[in-house]
Amino acid sequence: MRAMGCDVAVAGGDPATVAAVLERWEDAFSAFRPTSELSRVNASPACVLAVSSFFASTLETALDVAAETDGLVDPTLCGRCGELAVSGRALFRPQGLTLDLNGVVKALAVDEAVSALDGPGFVSVGGDLAVRGPVDVALPAGGAIRVIAGGLATSGTASRGAHLVNPATGRPAESRWEQVTASGATCLAADIAAKAGFILGEDGPAWLDERGIPGRFVAAGGEVVENETWARATQLVQTCT
Amino acid sequence: MAGDSRIELARARARTAKRAIGLLTAVVFGVAFVGAKVHAPGHAKGKAKSLGAPSSFERAVHRSIAQGGQIAPAVQPPPVSSSTS
Repeated sequence: MRAMGCDVAVAGGDPATVAAVLERWEDAFSAFRPTSELSRVNASPACVLAVSSFFASTLETALDVAAETDGLVDPTLCGRCGELAVSGRALFRPQGLTLDLNGVVKALAVDEAVSALDGPGFVSVGGDLAVRGPVDVALPAGGAIRVIAGGLATSGTASRGAHLVNPATGRPAESRWEQVTASGATCLAADIAAKAGFILGEDGPAWLDERGIPGRFVAAGGEVVENETWARATQLVQTCT
Repeated sequence: MAGDSRIELARARARTAKRAIGLLTAVVFGVAFVGAKVHAPGHAKGKAKSLGAPSSFERAVHRSIAQGGQIAPAVQPPPVSSSTS
C-alpha cells in the first residue's frame, strides 16, 4: 500500500481503516493536490482566511512545534512563523506568506492511524513509525532496536536529497549527518526531534539529550553516533551468573 | 346609483381576489419552506460533526510534542525498518 508518496506498512489492524485516515490527511494537506485545503490557502491572496477546524488545529500544532524547537521546524520554512496567528477557525497571515505543513502532517497522520488499530501492531509510512506494543525495527546503516512505546522516525538526505530547509537561512540544511533517527513519545515527537537533530548538525546529539530524547546519527561516511539517551536505553543488560 | 352598485361589486371581487392570492402565497411559501428544511442537502438535520481528529488525540499530541519514546535492544528479526523520509 502507498500513501503520501511513501510505502505504508500496517500490522495489527485493518489496512483499509489506516488508508482512510491517511487519505483524509493527504486530501487536506497535500501540496501536490490543487484542491487540498493547504493548496487553496496558499493560493489565496487574502490575509485573513476562514479555515476548517481540522486545518486550524493542525496549524496550531505546527506552531507549537516551531516554538518547542526554537523555530527549527517551522511551517513557513523561513523563520516567519511568529507572523502567523490562529484564532478559532480564522487564520491571520501576512499577504503572500505560504505554509508548508509537511513537517508535521505525515507524523500526525501516522499517530492517528496507529490509534485506530484494533490491538497491538504498528503503522509505518515511509519509515516514520508509531507502535502499539513492542516492535523490533531495523535501523539505517545496520542494527535494530525494539520500540516499546511511541514512535520512531528518521530524517536526512539519504533518499530524497537535501529537502530539509533550515528556517534560519531559508535554504536546504547542510549537516554533517546523512540520517538522524529519533525515538519520541509519538511519531510526531520522533519526527520533529529527528529533523531538529539533523538541522543542528554537531549540536544535534546534545540538543536531544537535553530533552531526554534518544537519537542516533549516521554521518556521510557511515560513522554512527548515538547520543547518551539512546546509548543508555539500548545498552544490553549484563547479568552475572 | 346602479353605477355605484357595480363599482361596489367590483371592489368586493377585488378584495376577495387579493385575499385569495395572499392566502395562496402563504401556503406556497410554507410548503416550500418545510420541503426545503426536510429535503435540501445543504441543511444539516443534526449537529455537525468535526472533520478533524478526535479531541482526545489532539490533547495527547500536544502533551507529548517533545518527549522521548521508549526503546530497548531488539530481541528478534525486525518486521519493519525506519528509513529516511
